[in-house]
Amino acid sequence: MPNMEFQLGLALPTPSIIKGFDLNNLGLDHPKDMGGLEARNKPARCFSDKSKRSFEQAFGNFEAECKTKTLLLLWSGQPNEEEDHNDQKKRTFSTIDDRNDAEEVDQVVGWPPIKTWRKKIFQQQQQQHRVGRIGNNRVADKENGSRSIYVKVKMEGVAITRKVDIRLYRSYQTLTNSLITLFAKYKKCADDDYTRYILTYQDKEGDWLIAGDIPWQSFIRSVQRLKIVRNWG
Amino acid sequence: MQKKRAYSFPDEVLEHVFSFIQSDKDRNAVSVVCKSWYEIERWCRRKVFIGNCYAVSPKMVIKRFPEVRSIELKGKPHFADFNLVPDGWGGYVLPWIGEMAGAYPWLEEIRLKRMVVTDESLELIAKSFKNFKVLVLFSCEGFSTDGLAAIAAGCKNLSELDLRESEVDDLSGHWLTHFPETCTSLVSLNISCLGSDEVSFSALERLVGRCPNLRSLRLNRAVSLDKIANILCLAPQLVDFGTGNYTTELRPDVLSNLTAAFSSCKELKSLSGFWDVVPAYLPALYSVCSRLTSLNLSYATIHSPEIIKLVSHCSSLQCLLVLDYIEDSGLEALASSCKDLQELRVFPSDPFGVEPNVSLTEKGLVSVSLGCPKLQSVLYFCRRMTNAALVTIAQNCPNFTHFRLCIIEPKTADYMTLEPLDVGFGAIVEHCKDLRRLSLSGLLTDRVFEYIGTYAKKLEMLSVAFAGDSDLGLHHVLSGCESLRKLEIRDCPFGDKALLANAAKLETMRSLWMSSCTVSFGACKLLGQKMHRLNVEVIDETEPPCSRPKSCPVDKLYVYRSISGPRSDMPPFVWTMDEEGTILH
Repeated sequence: MPNMEFQLGLALPTPSIIKGFDLNNLGLDHPKDMGGLEARNKPARCFSDKSKRSFEQAFGNFEAECKTKTLLLLWSGQPNEEEDHNDQKKRTFSTIDDRNDAEEVDQVVGWPPIKTWRKKIFQQQQQQHRVGRIGNNRVADKENGSRSIYVKVKMEGVAITRKVDIRLYRSYQTLTNSLITLFAKYKKCADDDYTRYILTYQDKEGDWLIAGDIPWQSFIRSVQRLKIVRNWG
Repeated sequence: MQKKRAYSFPDEVLEHVFSFIQSDKDRNAVSVVCKSWYEIERWCRRKVFIGNCYAVSPKMVIKRFPEVRSIELKGKPHFADFNLVPDGWGGYVLPWIGEMAGAYPWLEEIRLKRMVVTDESLELIAKSFKNFKVLVLFSCEGFSTDGLAAIAAGCKNLSELDLRESEVDDLSGHWLTHFPETCTSLVSLNISCLGSDEVSFSALERLVGRCPNLRSLRLNRAVSLDKIANILCLAPQLVDFGTGNYTTELRPDVLSNLTAAFSSCKELKSLSGFWDVVPAYLPALYSVCSRLTSLNLSYATIHSPEIIKLVSHCSSLQCLLVLDYIEDSGLEALASSCKDLQELRVFPSDPFGVEPNVSLTEKGLVSVSLGCPKLQSVLYFCRRMTNAALVTIAQNCPNFTHFRLCIIEPKTADYMTLEPLDVGFGAIVEHCKDLRRLSLSGLLTDRVFEYIGTYAKKLEMLSVAFAGDSDLGLHHVLSGCESLRKLEIRDCPFGDKALLANAAKLETMRSLWMSSCTVSFGACKLLGQKMHRLNVEVIDETEPPCSRPKSCPVDKLYVYRSISGPRSDMPPFVWTMDEEGTILH
């Protein structure tokens, strides 16, 4: 069973994702259509009618179609019942392959308006993302500094998934400090100060372990993703 | 009987007076006072700016201004930056260099933007102008390091070589060795765009060491962090410095050397570069931060905590370029630390991602608008916006001169009310009476253009994408914006009516770009026929526009005023409509 990931997005108004989605020509064979990316290439004319659909109508149709395409639904190793229920409406979907592959092929020419040389730098950085994430393909150190290794970080109770370059850190302490700062603003909402958190990580074999037991260097070679979970004990 | 000219000065006196008048606008005004002033002025004009290289021919410029020392030329339309202009479109500088080589032997400065520059052009420059001093190639392409070698070797008094954002064929890092040992005149060197191949570092060090007037040095990515300390020690007088890669192995001596090197640069006001940053080395900068007025972190993939630490040391900061890793929290910190901030540019770290990867929203921009009273220029990429936020921003910052907002997903509505963002942008143009440049995004109807036409009286450049409902939108802009010079539009339902109704307006502007709109080929032909001082160019890479019915919309349209008629260097996919209604090619 391949590892798949159920990703939660920010509470963006779904119409902004669906707007470019031509309901008359669903063409849901390609996962990339789910983001309305293919529809974006159609001329502006096609959009103007669709923008008047109501949120519910648009979302309802979208959901109905989604149910039939289970290829597009991906599950995480540790589904959290609580979250799933609360975040029903906020789901977005992504494929197991790096979605950036599909996007680079299908994006609207010249949009967003970013200069070519800047795009090249993004693409180089995205390549480093990809190599870091696809499990067994660890990047060898270069002589004059190592390549970035980006891993996803999720915090229990927080909708947004972050990405950090663990090559930037030298120890568990520095990593934890930075993560605390990154996620600090989300803590205040639901929890009181007595809630403790544990940093866990998924290793190459797919197991979820508590971070800190193995030496740092081994850790960065093995970590696939990070999750900050509440410690009720 | 000869008219007695009372109160007239000898020509030399007038010339001397005119020499204090530097701005083009003023010079142009002086030249139309009377015939004799026209004559005197044209002989003593030393600097010429040509915003569109096809608006006038080199021969015409030389004929009118025979003693020019400095020229600035711009070529391709702005949307070329985003790959909307096919390769081979034009903008060649060689014809200009060719003519100037004979006419202006004392030419000192050439500044080019979005032009195609060949090695041949560079060699010609090196050969032809004995006192050549300044070469700025901004977003240019078509040349290699061989051409640069010719410049280095041939221009004995070179003071400025600035290749910002150009695409250079990096054949060899050894072009730097072509600067002779006698060259000590460099004031500014910007090679940040060069590829990652090795730059001859020892040659660079020697060059930097023998140029005591070097004020601005921007290195390329190939230079790693451990080398920077050496360079800075050789040039502690630097005012503007661009690092290379801000990364190297973690070694204790590197940090201390770097810290010492930076603190010895007492004049340093501007920093850029910062590719591949290792945050552990950022503290080396803290000693210079309080003097910094300009900081470009737009390649640095460092996260919000590190950015905040750095920025909170920069109390004098006027200009910040940064990635959206700064997030709303970082922008809040910026708003409280940097009260002198005038310009902010926030770029997206993951522009093609469907979901946000960072927490950067309208809130960040609102914080900055509240905390930074001097804010004038904004470029902001984000994923959501509200009318309320825009209204607040407009009220906080009535001094905006440049406002460019890019909401990444086209046609994104106000995420709270689901309404178009017409009212928000309307507030911007209404409150910011000095607004010169505006870029729109998000869900927008014809209403926003009505606001723009009504209020944006000083607006010179407008960029529009995926907006509007009908020709009325375009009509509002063309009929209302009195100062409009450049208008660029893509993917909007604007067609023939507004264009033809406002044809005369186009002669008062530098240029109009429309792509993926609904302008018909027939309308283009008509425009070209009627307006003799406009070049109406249709770009179509798939098939000739005349092979389709006249009512068919053209793919891309570029209209610009010109006194030199249709250009003669058009590639096969560009057609121009001329006076007789024939299609030239």
